[in-house]
Amino acid sequence: MVEEEVSGGGVTMAGEPIVQIRDLTKVIGKKTIIDQLSFDVYPGEVFGFLGPNGAGKTTTIRMMVGLMNMTEGEILIDGSSIKTDYEDAIIKVGAIVENPEMYKFLTGYQNLVHYARMMKGISKERINEVVKLVGLEGRINEKVKGYSLGMRQRLGLAQALLHRPKLLILDEPTNGLDPAGIREIRQYLRTLAREENVAVVVSSHLLSEIELMCDRIGIIQAGKMVDVQRVNDFIQKDQTVMVSFEVDPVSHAVHAINATFPDIELEQSDRIVMVKTEHERIPDVTAALVEKGIRIYGIQSSVKTLEDVFLEVTGGEQVV
Amino acid sequence: MSSMIRLIQNENMKIYRRVGTWVMLGLIVIGLLLATIFTNLAGDEGTTDWRSNTETAIQQSEESLQNSEGMPTAFKSELERSIAINEYRLANDIPPLESDSIWSLMDNSISLVSLISIFTIIIGAGIIASEYSWGTIKLLLIRPATRTKILASKFIATLLFAVLSLVILYISSFIIGGIGLGFGAVDQPYLTYKGGEVSEMSMAVHFIIEYALASVNLLMMVTFAFMLSSIFRSASLAIGLAIFLMFTGSQLTFFLSQYDWAKYLLFANTDLSVYFDGAPIIESMTLGFSVVTLLIYFIVFLLLSWLLFTKRDVAA
Repeated sequence: MVEEEVSGGGVTMAGEPIVQIRDLTKVIGKKTIIDQLSFDVYPGEVFGFLGPNGAGKTTTIRMMVGLMNMTEGEILIDGSSIKTDYEDAIIKVGAIVENPEMYKFLTGYQNLVHYARMMKGISKERINEVVKLVGLEGRINEKVKGYSLGMRQRLGLAQALLHRPKLLILDEPTNGLDPAGIREIRQYLRTLAREENVAVVVSSHLLSEIELMCDRIGIIQAGKMVDVQRVNDFIQKDQTVMVSFEVDPVSHAVHAINATFPDIELEQSDRIVMVKTEHERIPDVTAALVEKGIRIYGIQSSVKTLEDVFLEVTGGEQVV
Repeated sequence: MSSMIRLIQNENMKIYRRVGTWVMLGLIVIGLLLATIFTNLAGDEGTTDWRSNTETAIQQSEESLQNSEGMPTAFKSELERSIAINEYRLANDIPPLESDSIWSLMDNSISLVSLISIFTIIIGAGIIASEYSWGTIKLLLIRPATRTKILASKFIATLLFAVLSLVILYISSFIIGGIGLGFGAVDQPYLTYKGGEVSEMSMAVHFIIEYALASVNLLMMVTFAFMLSSIFRSASLAIGLAIFLMFTGSQLTFFLSQYDWAKYLLFANTDLSVYFDGAPIIESMTLGFSVVTLLIYFIVFLLLSWLLFTKRDVAA
């Protein structure tokens, strides 16, 4: 899966943002669900929308597609306001909001015809093209009733892509897909962003998903945007890494490291010494151990994952 | 406009691709077949002379009329009407409809309009609420079509279902009635009574008018169910309430008919046939009054449906 990793400088933030969200606020009753949310999404990027349950991800997405009214603020899609120019704005958007619920008594194809009729200029060829794209050719004339969740997810993606939107909003897009399907969707979304310059907004509770799929992520908590960062910056902000040395004997190793690098923090367990150090110093620590005649069976550096960063940023709140 | 037609196509697809819809349309025809069979069986009794029967009927009506102190006016005018029509029959040699003729089946078929009302209420109550219960509303409303247009397409599709059902009922009554009971009485005229005068009318036209009048109630109840569907987003609640009111509403209005304000009730006005054949439930009412009252109800129902469909959030 190495080849899928997010390439560092792949996305340029040049040009106008396709989505501009300014001071978005939603009050229901007396409760402020979304509080002064602002962020931009640019063409050609995959933007991850991350947050604990109840943080307001789905509410924000529902306001972006006009299913909910905003109390205050503004959402512009390609320059058109979702509030005042709804038709101009929404025609640029393809979306799946929560689960892709389809008409079960219709076939997959009839479902697509249904949505195609609601927009101008979608030909039969386009429908067939999209069907092929999501890999449903074999089953498209069956009733949705008999579809698996993964197939419904694909059909959901198909309806979102029919009109070649400039902005694709997907709520939990890999939900219910098998690993192969997840990889396929992930690759497809990245291709769509890179080659067709589509902006993709993805919400997910799976941090590893977001990490592999997105260029930038926004972390939302209690209705507020806590942090918006590029995925790579997010992970490498803190350059210290935890390195585990599998050594024998452990006590000698601890002694050796303490003697040579008094500033390094370490933990020890049965056969492992965990060392917290900068990436640059790993060879030095290794050399010191070798010098003392300690047998090294393995060295493993664990990069801080998005999950660690996420837990830091949100104060350790439960994500799933 | 073409976008509207395509939205209606969508709604039609969602109505007619479901088995339940065809079951309902089938039940209309089955109901009619049963009615034919029973009329045919009942019609086997020996036919007595219709003249003497009519004379007895007149006598009975006159007796009732004399003893009708304190009875409602509607009751009295009904008796007067029956006497006038029966006298016209004797004078012009027009026998009443025989119970096994094609037109008596048509007459019975009008009672099946309330079955169509129920079926159309089911369609109309579900057409909004189901989108919510299926969860498909989220994908439906994120399209360039405005909510107003989507709502309009749903209402029109519901009415089209009613029209289709009525046409099926009318045509199949004629065909089944003709085949089962014979086309013999086809040219018999229909007698109407208005302001003391009896006049003749073509039966086919008479039944089209009857269907249309019966559909007024249908239209109002379906619009009511449609509104409930939009308010509660629950098909079962909308169906239940609308059908309950449909069956109890006219009785309720009858009980309240001693008060003058009862004329503003929906059900006091839904039966427009009283202005053509009989008398309204409250004397001061006129056809114009009822039409305006119905129109106001109709607009209020649609306005509420629209407000709640277009302005409210679609939350989880």
